[in-house]
Amino acid sequence: MSRKVVDIAGKRLSLSNLEKDLYPSFGFTKAHILEYYRRIAKFILPHLKDRALTLKRYPEGVEKDFFFEKRCPSHRPVWVKTAEVRHDEGEKMTVCLVNDLETLIWVENLASLELHVPLARAASPETPDSMVFDLDPGDQANILNCARVALILRDLLSHLHLTSYVKTSGKKGLHLYVPLNRKETTFEDTKKFSKAVAEIMQKNYPDLVTAKMTKEYRKAKVFINWSQNDSSKTMICVYSLRAREKPIVSFPLAWKELENLAGRDDPQKLQVLHSEAVSRAEKKGDLFREVVVKEQRLPHL
Amino acid sequence: MKTPRSGPSSNQKDETAFQGIWSGTISFSLVAIPVQLVSAVRTGRVSFRMLHGKDYSPLAREMSCPEEEKIVPPDEIVRGYEIGPDKYIVITDKELESLSPERSRTIEIIEFIDMKEVDLIYYDYPYYLVPSKGGEKAYRLLVEVLRRTNKAGLAKFVLRDREYLVAVKSMEGALALITLHYSEEILPHEDIAPKKEEIEPEEKSRMQKTIKKMIADFDPEKYADERRKRILDLLKKKAKEKAPVEAPEIEEEGEGPADLVAALEESMRKMKRNR
Repeated sequence: MSRKVVDIAGKRLSLSNLEKDLYPSFGFTKAHILEYYRRIAKFILPHLKDRALTLKRYPEGVEKDFFFEKRCPSHRPVWVKTAEVRHDEGEKMTVCLVNDLETLIWVENLASLELHVPLARAASPETPDSMVFDLDPGDQANILNCARVALILRDLLSHLHLTSYVKTSGKKGLHLYVPLNRKETTFEDTKKFSKAVAEIMQKNYPDLVTAKMTKEYRKAKVFINWSQNDSSKTMICVYSLRAREKPIVSFPLAWKELENLAGRDDPQKLQVLHSEAVSRAEKKGDLFREVVVKEQRLPHL
Repeated sequence: MKTPRSGPSSNQKDETAFQGIWSGTISFSLVAIPVQLVSAVRTGRVSFRMLHGKDYSPLAREMSCPEEEKIVPPDEIVRGYEIGPDKYIVITDKELESLSPERSRTIEIIEFIDMKEVDLIYYDYPYYLVPSKGGEKAYRLLVEVLRRTNKAGLAKFVLRDREYLVAVKSMEGALALITLHYSEEILPHEDIAPKKEEIEPEEKSRMQKTIKKMIADFDPEKYADERRKRILDLLKKKAKEKAPVEAPEIEEEGEGPADLVAALEESMRKMKRNR
């Protein structure tokens, strides 16, 4: 195994298998992945900060087996920040907090291509910082259907004086985030609220939307998955790579851009590759910045 | 002795395999090594959920009373120790709890023994011990010394509500912990051995020869649970052919808060008018 020792912010890190091609049909090595995360670090770090990271590791690349790791590996360097959280069964576990560049690079050296985080911070696991609508197209629908649903949802929420932000999932869907950033709001609130919204959407747009998990209802429709608003669930972090054929990124979009793209019949336009992600973020800044900052209150609860 | 190729940190697909069952310290004399206990084996059993064939709802187990022909709620269930036909001694959870050993955070090594002296019949269940932060050096030291001296630590250890006798031994650079049966758990075998009869020397040498011909190195990788493999292959094939059946979704009661629903409906009307 080839190794290379690097120094990041005074921390020594031994990187392994840099030449290993982890996206073989595209040609994207571990070195490329580390370089992507190094360049996107200043945009992704605010969204990972203080959240219990779930690693999704692809040691043999995206075409081979992966595994989830919720516990922070015990062989971590001493400077990796961790938190104690309660596991589903009540047992305590130690999780990684990716709060700095060196930890991000260490995590990527473990081939954790995808970074999944909860909607709440580790210190306050029951109070989400945002409410999310996970738009998931059925097998006869695509991301353009999701875009239509996202635009209607945005309008509906803005009637309730809630600003929302959208990102691609990096797979087939879109994720719509409503920032809250208030200690008072609980997952119970966001679940109740998002479920009511999903159901009213289904009632008014029955051909376009379903609020039901069951596959047979989905088909040509978009499933508004409100049940992600739960302390035990995680979402793919904005700017994270996805483990697909190509290194596609879960990337934030401006609403104007989504309006333009929703009208055209080119779903591929809604997929953002690693290189485009870096250049767009560097030019436009973090379009998801408000998600971790803006304070909003859920009305009528 | 052959040991499996991969240790406790091998790539497991399910996250549960990584999770420590217990964490604490190995201690003896002045030594204290922080460790986590993880299972060393994953049983090959393929388990199935029982479903209602009509709509594939997962089924629940419930206790029923044949006398009253009804389901008994948990708060009406008590434990009884059967001492004769229809005769029981009732024992409460509280009573049982008061008898459990105190939970402890140490694996206290009492003595060091030669593992060869422990008959395989005493082996109960294998675990790995993973060093916790800060304990790596002491861990390595213990592994190395146990390996050199061919010794294992015999320890007492409380896991859940039971106290176990365990052996801590080195295994390719790591520590394994094996829970051992107490001697009173081992059933007598004195009556199994047949009565002594003369054995012809030729018979003895013939069998020795036969066995000699069949001697091999222990290579567990040559063997696999064929039934398990066939079940997994069948599941894979079926998953490809047809989408899995799904249980009906359990609808939560209610439509959400009345005010919110009203506000959403009002907004929806306004929106549609503007479109």
